Parts: sequence; structure tokens; C-alpha cells
Amino acid sequence: MSTLHVLSHSPFGDDRLSSCLRLIGANDALLLTGDAVYALQPGTAPFNALIAGKPTLFVLAEDAQARAVEVPDTAKAIDYPAFVELSIHYDKVNSWL
Amino acid sequence: MPTSLLIISRQAPWSGPSAREALDIVLAGGAFDLPIGLLFLDDGVFQLAPKQDAKALQQKDLSANLQALPMFGVEDLFVCGDSAAERGLAPDSLSLEDAQVLAAHEITALIDRYDQVITL
Amino acid sequence: MAAVLLIESVMKFAIALFSAAHAPSSRRALLFAQAALAGGHEIVRLFFYQDGVYNASASVVTPQDEQDLPKQWRAFVAEHQLDGVVCIAAALRRGVLNDEEAQRYQREAVAVGAPWELSGLGQLHDAVQDADRLICFGGA
Repeated sequence: MSTLHVLSHSPFGDDRLSSCLRLIGANDALLLTGDAVYALQPGTAPFNALIAGKPTLFVLAEDAQARAVEVPDTAKAIDYPAFVELSIHYDKVNSWL
Repeated sequence: MPTSLLIISRQAPWSGPSAREALDIVLAGGAFDLPIGLLFLDDGVFQLAPKQDAKALQQKDLSANLQALPMFGVEDLFVCGDSAAERGLAPDSLSLEDAQVLAAHEITALIDRYDQVITL
Repeated sequence: MAAVLLIESVMKFAIALFSAAHAPSSRRALLFAQAALAGGHEIVRLFFYQDGVYNASASVVTPQDEQDLPKQWRAFVAEHQLDGVVCIAAALRRGVLNDEEAQRYQREAVAVGAPWELSGLGQLHDAVQDADRLICFGGA
């Protein structure tokens, strides 16, 4: 079984990212949307946590673009059709509301 | 085979209606005899803190609803041990005695066991 | 070597929305829903819960220079004849009443009409049972 975890909150002053990384499984993936893309800010604690955790990482392209946040090589920028495909590829979607 | 659903409740009891609205989803599922699980994670563990006094805030006391869960056929109740420990709550002090205290890797496995999940 | 024909199966989605119309996650929900249908899949139900009920409100007035989500949702549901359900308990608490509830509780404002239906959480569970995937949008 595999889960696509979806985050949409800024990781600064919010514990969803760290909580998620604590229980994300080896077959799971993480999709950053909305303000959660700020986790890709280089040199920050959330970015380092992502590097350390090494989850399979996806980023909603429009959110990175809007915020001028660079998507690293270790992540894949996706659009909505790809988001739909991911939600099918993984057995379930866990949005951290 | 019915689809199983895990509800992950992450909010403190009176941080808005979220704790209650999570519980309502669980109770509705139980009323329809569906396979439902409930995990208290992060600030959600505060819903199980002992000696709370909802009346002091003129709020609804959810603990009666929580204790009623088995009566609604919801017996799969879980608590994140790390969340409780980080928040100064001893596992044996939590108000839901039947809730299983789980470590992080056990929660990973728990989520895998359910068909769908709602985290609120 | 035998040719293998890959048939993409049609997936049934239940989409639940928990945030208000002005929240970015509400727009993401709509774009996801549109992409799901464009990809040839089905949406068994849209279920609005918590602040998501505000997306069904006809009383919302969106600034001219912003996306009018309630209007876009209505058009989307109408165009594809989708089942759009608003949780009645969540709606009542937030003042999003239809004609029937406004009369029942003697409230002035009627904020919800067709194509939205006010119903209980049983409809969410029903959708979860029927669908292949449940996708929730909300929070931020």
C-alpha cells in the first residue's frame, strides 16, 4: 500500500511537514502545494528536513512558479493532470488539512 | 467488502469546531456500520487530556461523545505516543483507556491498513 | 512479441472540500476536479464540509479582480450534472441555509439553492464507499 501525502501549509510555524515526515512510508510520496512549497527554500530547516527524509517529492508547479521558489532536481514539478494521475498511482491520498 | 476509513484528528479540543467535526464523521460512519478508525495525532492528543473542563469555556464537552464511540461500533482508536509525550501527556493518563498508543512506524503501518484517510 | 494494449481504467473520485471559497485550496479542488473529468474519470460526489460549505453560498460577493469560486463551482456542477452535496450541520453552523432550513429556523437569508443539496455526513460516507479514491482539499 502506498500513500500520497499532500501538504498546503507553510512549514514555518506549522508542524504538518515535520509530523508528515515522521510517519511517511518508504512507498509513499509527498506533494507540496500552496504555501507548503516554501519548504523548498534552500538553507532552511524545512528544506534540510526534506533532504534528510528523502521522500519521493512532487511539487505543484503553479505554486512554485507563483512564489519564485526553485524546484530542485530531487523533486518533480507537476500540473493538475499529473496530480490526477498521481492520485491514481498511489493507493490513497492523505491531505493534511 | 466495505471501504475502510481512517480519520486522523490533529486539532486541540477547543481550537474551533475541527475536533467535533472530525468526531462527527467518525460517529456517522459508525452509525452506518462502516469500518472506521480514529487516530489522535499532534494537538489532537489534547482531546484526551485528563480533567478538562469544557464548561469553563461554555463549550461542549466532547469526552462523552468519545467514550460513546464503542457503542457506535467504533473500537479502532489510536493515539500517537510521540505527540502525547511531546505535549507532556503520560500515555496512561489519557481519557480513552481503550485507545492504542502507537509509535511513528506503527502509524505508518496503520495508515497503510486503511483504504482511505481524512486528516483534519 | 504480442502487442499489449494498455487500457487506462476510469477511476471514480469522491472529492471533499473543507475550506472557504477564497482559500487557495478551494481553487485547487476545482482545478483537480476539472482535470479528473478531462482525464476521462468520474466524480461520484462533491462533498462540502467545514468551511467548504461557503463554496455553495449564493451570498458570496467576490471582488471583481478575483476568481469567483462559488460561481465557477455552480457552473462546473451544472455543466457536468454532478452530485454536489453540502453537509447540513456544517452549513447551519455557518449560516449557509437553503429555503427549507431558513423557514425551519426562521432565518432571513437563504444562501443555498440548486444545484446544491444540503444533506448529512452519510452522503460523504456513501461517496467514500462508491469511489475508488477520496481526495480532500482544505486547510490553506
